[in-house]
Amino acid sequence: MLLIHCPYCEEARPEVEFAYGGEAHIARPVDPSTYSDEQWEEFLYIRSNPRGRHHERWRHAHGCGRFFNAVRDTVTDVFETTYKAGEARK
Amino acid sequence: MVEIAEIAVSAAELKLGTEPVQGDGVRLAHAGPKARYSLRARDAKALADVIGRALPGKIGDTEGAIACLGPDEWYALLPAGTEMPRGEGLAVSVVDVSSRALGLVLEGPGALAVLSSGCPLDLAKMGVGRATRTVFETVEIQVWREGEERWHVEVWRSFATWLWHAFVAAMHGAK
Amino acid sequence: MTGFRLADGGRIDRRTKRNFTFDGKARWGYAGDSLASALLAQGQMLFGRSFKYHRPRGILGAGVEEPNALVTVDRGPGRKTPNLRAPSVALHDGLAATSQNRFPTLKTDLIAVNNMLSAFFPAGFYNKTFMWPRAAWEKVYEPIIRRLAGLGDSPTTRDPDHYDATYAHCETLVVGAGPAGIAAALEAAASGGRVFLIDEQEEIGGGALSDPAQWAWLAEASAKLAAMDNVTVLPRTTAIGHYHQNFVVAAQRLTDHLPVDEAEGPREKLWRIRAGEVVLAMGAIERPLVFEGNDVPGVMLASAAKTFALRYGVAVGRKLVVMALHDSGWHDALALHKAGVNIAAIVDLRREIAPELAEAARDARIACYPGYAVTGVSGGQAVNGVTVALAGVGKGQKLECDAVLMAGGWTPTVHLWSHAKGTLRWDENWGAYVPDKTHENLRCVGACAGDWDFGSGLVRGLLPAPKPLHESKAFVDFQNDVKARDIGLAVQEGFRSIEHIKRYTTNGMATDQGKTSNLNGLQIASGVLHRPVTDIGLTTFRPPYTPQSFGAILGHHKEALFQPLRKTGIDDWADAHGAVYENVAQWRRARYFPQGSEDMDAAVARECRTVRSAVGIFDASTLGKIEVVGPDAAEFLNRMYTNPWKSLEPGRCRYGLLLGEHGFIIDDGVSARLAPDRFHLTTTTGGAARVLNMMEDYLQTEWADLDVWLTSTTEQWSVIAVQGPKARRVIAPLVEGIDLSPEAFPHMAVREGKICGVDTRLFRVSFTGELGFEVNVPAEYGRMVWEAIWAEGEKHGAAAYGTETMHVLRAEKGFIIVGQDTDGTVTPDDAGLGWAVGKKKPDFVGKRSLARPDIVAAGRKQLVGLLTDDPQAVLEEGAQIVADPNQPVPMTMIGHVTSSYHSATMGRSIAMALVAGGRDRMGETLHIPMPGKTISAKVVAPMFYDPEGSRLNG
Repeated sequence: MLLIHCPYCEEARPEVEFAYGGEAHIARPVDPSTYSDEQWEEFLYIRSNPRGRHHERWRHAHGCGRFFNAVRDTVTDVFETTYKAGEARK
Repeated sequence: MVEIAEIAVSAAELKLGTEPVQGDGVRLAHAGPKARYSLRARDAKALADVIGRALPGKIGDTEGAIACLGPDEWYALLPAGTEMPRGEGLAVSVVDVSSRALGLVLEGPGALAVLSSGCPLDLAKMGVGRATRTVFETVEIQVWREGEERWHVEVWRSFATWLWHAFVAAMHGAK
Repeated sequence: MTGFRLADGGRIDRRTKRNFTFDGKARWGYAGDSLASALLAQGQMLFGRSFKYHRPRGILGAGVEEPNALVTVDRGPGRKTPNLRAPSVALHDGLAATSQNRFPTLKTDLIAVNNMLSAFFPAGFYNKTFMWPRAAWEKVYEPIIRRLAGLGDSPTTRDPDHYDATYAHCETLVVGAGPAGIAAALEAAASGGRVFLIDEQEEIGGGALSDPAQWAWLAEASAKLAAMDNVTVLPRTTAIGHYHQNFVVAAQRLTDHLPVDEAEGPREKLWRIRAGEVVLAMGAIERPLVFEGNDVPGVMLASAAKTFALRYGVAVGRKLVVMALHDSGWHDALALHKAGVNIAAIVDLRREIAPELAEAARDARIACYPGYAVTGVSGGQAVNGVTVALAGVGKGQKLECDAVLMAGGWTPTVHLWSHAKGTLRWDENWGAYVPDKTHENLRCVGACAGDWDFGSGLVRGLLPAPKPLHESKAFVDFQNDVKARDIGLAVQEGFRSIEHIKRYTTNGMATDQGKTSNLNGLQIASGVLHRPVTDIGLTTFRPPYTPQSFGAILGHHKEALFQPLRKTGIDDWADAHGAVYENVAQWRRARYFPQGSEDMDAAVARECRTVRSAVGIFDASTLGKIEVVGPDAAEFLNRMYTNPWKSLEPGRCRYGLLLGEHGFIIDDGVSARLAPDRFHLTTTTGGAARVLNMMEDYLQTEWADLDVWLTSTTEQWSVIAVQGPKARRVIAPLVEGIDLSPEAFPHMAVREGKICGVDTRLFRVSFTGELGFEVNVPAEYGRMVWEAIWAEGEKHGAAAYGTETMHVLRAEKGFIIVGQDTDGTVTPDDAGLGWAVGKKKPDFVGKRSLARPDIVAAGRKQLVGLLTDDPQAVLEEGAQIVADPNQPVPMTMIGHVTSSYHSATMGRSIAMALVAGGRDRMGETLHIPMPGKTISAKVVAPMFYDPEGSRLNG
């Protein structure tokens, strides 16, 4: 079970309090109607799935309730950092 | 052919205990009726003004029976019947959730071990007066450390029966 | 010496006898014995039959590395544990152990014929031989293989034991309480942090238990640890796995070492330990040597013989030959000699032996054969001699003996290190992999770190032999019956990676996890491939380190506590009124209320008729509820739901349809605006948590500027649906402060007031098509209000109804159930809910997807009604639909039945279905092929009852 540092609670908490939220920094367009079918497909379904550094979302669902972003190494599962939603990509 | 006997006790037969249960160095009891409010606001001061009470500023702290659960979330655990202004039209959310949860109290030198049987937090390091949302195995709870050996556990009503018996199982070494 | 028990020595208590049985025969030993040592003391050499060939096998090791001597211990009904390692089973009075994998007895195993036919059972045998015919696998091969091969039998009755479980936290966790582990624990404890020291054996000490010179130190260190408040010492506790960030799971055996009648409390306890630092002090396991006959009972590890002699006071034979490649074999031989065990000879492939060892052996009058190797073992069920030859190929020479000790060097126990994704480094000195790097706060100490001075040796698993490899019967993996030549065969057949060789030969698999076989397998593969060991790779060690009971893994989560069963505040009433339940998500809900001898169909028909003709009462408390509060509440809902919300007046309700961004329906529910800035949302029972999470996601990450907050109120409210033409009359006497007249309180409205003196949010809504109300009251009043409504209802002929009736009533009206009539690929238009999509709204979640090419394409599956030609035929939900019943198989399936019931109201069956181009098929007859028959049905609009909606007004 991972320990995840919640940037809002400012402490490391057990993984079972968290819910994974998929890849991070995929913003919903302000006006989706301006997106072509290809752009919309990209937004909906295309994910980077890297080996190594992965920017991803977690929610401290059974803690403070906040969504936040993390950089996790998909090979080692080591979290490089976590940061609040809305902050720039790290 | 392998035959497995009928399950001795089914989950449907579990009843929420009403009387306190005394274990080895630990007592489990109901906290009794409470007024509960879920309080939300971006601006803590605006919320404090609406409800006329001070709010703890840091996640995990409590003040005057109000806990800060998240950056914009507080939870009030007050004497039953306490009313709270709703702040209509303001950028706050005050929701009465008095009936949503039940409070269970574990008290005694063995209380920490009972809670730790299913809660993954390092509770020994949790200070008196601290409160947090967390889990007990698969069930979401709130843990309030009300004293060195007194723990108040908030649990949604329909999970309380399971939690009560999970505590009793831990108290009795799984008997 | 009585039997094989030495006159003195050992940590056993010679004043306390323990009686036990092995294969039903009475045996005895001493307190402090293991099952293995007690049996060895009585001359038992044969302990089991091998996995594949049923070869007779004895003891190899003195600890958990034992691959052969697997036994079943029977502690009464439901308490039978197979595959326990005899050296790890503590002896107690009344212990009843039996050997395994033999038929009918250990001595005369008829299946050992396998052994004679072993030429036909090479590596990959299962894969090759039983490929076809396919049908024979299930009926012939599998039952035979299951009979022949295998370990002990699984218990067949319910386990009556209880298991405890807990989380624990410490600054330092030390795994393994040998001298290195104890030292690490003492050092860590001095700093004041919380320390856990766990060890799998009966008492702490590890290797020191087999070295009397260390006993005084051990006693002192144990006492010191016991006296420290910050130290928790757990013997009989196996660390079964290391998981991320120093989360170590360990199982403590609490009662298995006690006689059955003294065993009280939980049998095992699962410790889920989060440690700041983990120190692995797991020691090293001696390697066997691979030579012809190395599996004859009586051939064992030198270190095991030493442990049996010095810890248990047992000689493993009367005349021993040591086959050593390593100095530790000489040290052990000398220690055994000193303890009174007769060492006849030391054979060592090395020509140069350290002078002090050679001298000590000479002083002990032990014959030495430097440069020699054992090339054969004589004896069937027990050793009676060995053949040794110069360099393994010279002229053979027979030596008489009744036990052979192997000293092949040592393998650090790196299992947990590997679980933690620690990397390994090949160490030439050890001839083994030792820990290298890790990203965890984890370190190894002592032998498992490769840090142990025990002399030097030759790194070589397979001894030179006169026979070519493909003719040899030298075993590498005793538990899985893998021979050196099987590895040769695997290489010959093209396998190069050790991962492939492992799976093809089964070397290092199953419960053993390669404890004694891994390195020898690598060495042999390396030799055959003419490539260095480091080029061949290393297989992955996986948890559990040793087999673990399911009981401890379950902990308290069994029987009634298996998982929470959620009940509403009204559930007790339903129970008292004979409800039959169904589970919906974690809730149990009353499905129907049979009266007298009614079956489900009869009860549901009566309940439906009562609702349509009078009034029915339904517990809808499980519906998900979310309170949405804040100045931007309407704006938020407008963005989330497909339909417009900003125009909804306070006091009014609206049906909300929720899509995913992909455009498919994921939830629905009726919601009410209580005030300009406050909404009371409802969701499906199963969707409550999911919907709240999704809404929080949008609110926190996409529209963080909105001033609106969500609070789950599912459990705040008990919800009582009162439905039917007499609904208003039933609640009227109980309601205060709300004008119930149709003019003042129209359909799809909400009012706040009192019922039975309790605050209520009263909804006028209908999921049945009848005049209906949903009474929300704070949960603790649900039962009281329900009973009051019930009492009023009875005056009007009311029935309590359950979810089954609710389903039929809504289906008669064509109302969907998300998740039943939708499956995650259904758009609003597919479901006939295009009317609920706000055409003028610029955006809402999922809107853009509704314009995707596949979503607007013709021929999508659409929700339709089906009326069977035979009005009494009730279709099966999930049944496939075809247009032409006479087409050849496989038929083209154009849809499936989603909801189907007998409708008492209609006097016939009704069904809903998703059918390709369904709305263009109105009036067509479609076909539903079922076993033995085909049912035909006509496509109709999915609205069977009161299409005008006139009954909503009572």
